[in-house]
Amino acid sequence: MIKFKAVSKLYNDNVVALDNVSFYIKSGEFVSLVGQSGAGKTTLVKMLIGEENPSEGRIEVGGWDITRLRGSEVPHLRRQIATIFQDYKLLPKKTLLENVEFALQVCGKSMKKIKLVAPQVMRIVGLESKMHRYPHEVSGGERQRTAIARSLVYQPKILLADEPTGNLDSINAKEIVDLLLKINSFGTTVVLVTHNRDVVNKLRKRVLTLHEGRLVSDQAVGKYII
Amino acid sequence: MWLSAGRILKFGFQDIARNVWLSLVTVMILVLTLFSVNLLLAVQAISGAAVDTIKNKIDVSLYLSPEASADKIAVLKARISAMPIVNSVDFVSQEEALKRFQKFNVKDSTINQALSTLNSNPLTPSLVIKPSETGRFDELLMALNKIDDPLIQARDFDNYKTILDKIDAITKKVSEAGFFVSGLFMLITLLVIFNTAKVAIYTHRNEIGIMRLVGASNWFIKAPFLISSFLYTLFSSVFVTIVFYLFLNLLQPYLEAFFVGYTFNIMAYFTANFWAIFGLQFLVAALVNMLASWLAVSKYSNV
Repeated sequence: MIKFKAVSKLYNDNVVALDNVSFYIKSGEFVSLVGQSGAGKTTLVKMLIGEENPSEGRIEVGGWDITRLRGSEVPHLRRQIATIFQDYKLLPKKTLLENVEFALQVCGKSMKKIKLVAPQVMRIVGLESKMHRYPHEVSGGERQRTAIARSLVYQPKILLADEPTGNLDSINAKEIVDLLLKINSFGTTVVLVTHNRDVVNKLRKRVLTLHEGRLVSDQAVGKYII
Repeated sequence: MWLSAGRILKFGFQDIARNVWLSLVTVMILVLTLFSVNLLLAVQAISGAAVDTIKNKIDVSLYLSPEASADKIAVLKARISAMPIVNSVDFVSQEEALKRFQKFNVKDSTINQALSTLNSNPLTPSLVIKPSETGRFDELLMALNKIDDPLIQARDFDNYKTILDKIDAITKKVSEAGFFVSGLFMLITLLVIFNTAKVAIYTHRNEIGIMRLVGASNWFIKAPFLISSFLYTLFSSVFVTIVFYLFLNLLQPYLEAFFVGYTFNIMAYFTANFWAIFGLQFLVAALVNMLASWLAVSKYSNV
């Protein structure tokens, strides 16, 4: 599903963000990508969503070479790789439901489909009773669940969660991880980028560890080792 | 496709509504630009009409001997008419010349008194010659000077060419100033539109970021800003058309007083050339504004 082949990323000032990183993630896998700040996790995420290109190496997603994507191809990639972030990225002047609907609107879906799909995904993430509230009226966990709901509207093949529990307490963090596991159980490949040791250790799933831009560990049932 | 077009249009209107003061300033700058362009066109039309009016008045006179016979005058007239640089030659008899003189000086009692004491017609018959082209005025004067005929008593070669040259020079200067002012306003408009798009992008940076995140196409992100600048141009053009016609309506009585004896209607001129002036103006302004908007969006929308 996701293939990194000898990928390196050097920035202009010769800072090495990623150094010869290779791995393969199978379809339907749940993988945690861990590492300290500055390990190269964010660079890797940016490459996966087409925001940056590698200096060397090759990246494939579902057999599609995304190493050198044209600007017009990026939107197609982002409909296949849904992304959620630590800061939720919700529009504050729209309700939770409207935030989800917005994602469908900007991609040209019909109103009929929007009215059908948006409430469905809100139900999946357990927010049907609060979907008419605004982001500031709900908890951090609920905002993150809304972001997940928004990412699900295209039925993506891959869900990339970049520090999704970073702003949450342990209870809300657990709810989010449970939700990610639930989504993974439907067949969606989940890549969880985190430095939350507890979350990773309790998951007992595959763990890729980055350190100073290099992949230092790839454990099938791993733990947070750094 | 129509659904996306509808949403792009909706987002375009939202851009305008959410930045209402900035939109008003943009429209006002555009209005000033388009008004200055139209003013320049009006000045050119008026000065063109003024030059035509003066051109029609340009003639030179050859004053003939009062004793000249009609046959000899006819020969001279035919000789001058045959010149390619001559448009027309009119004979003004001694009596006609007196009538015109009296009519022209009807309010001047001193002249009227002097004429009555003379008891005879002091004026001479003349040939009034109009050139075929005002640009060949010098050529005509030279050709007339070469005619050595005893019938000719005097030659009145008022130098209308100097007047024409002066009018042409003034027209040219007014046009240059107009172009400069219009160009300045166009430059200001470009900068304002560019900055309007920039501010709109800054205001919507979260929305644009989320659009990118969820896979909106580049076109879907950029198009609302183009729609906004198109709408700014449309509002401005409609506003300028209305205001400019009101202005022309106020100007027309003054022009009628200026072009007394001639038919010149500035409103009719603008109405006859409505699409060529306002249509073309709208198209050019819309293209320039959309280009400025596109540049701003391409530069700043990668949030």
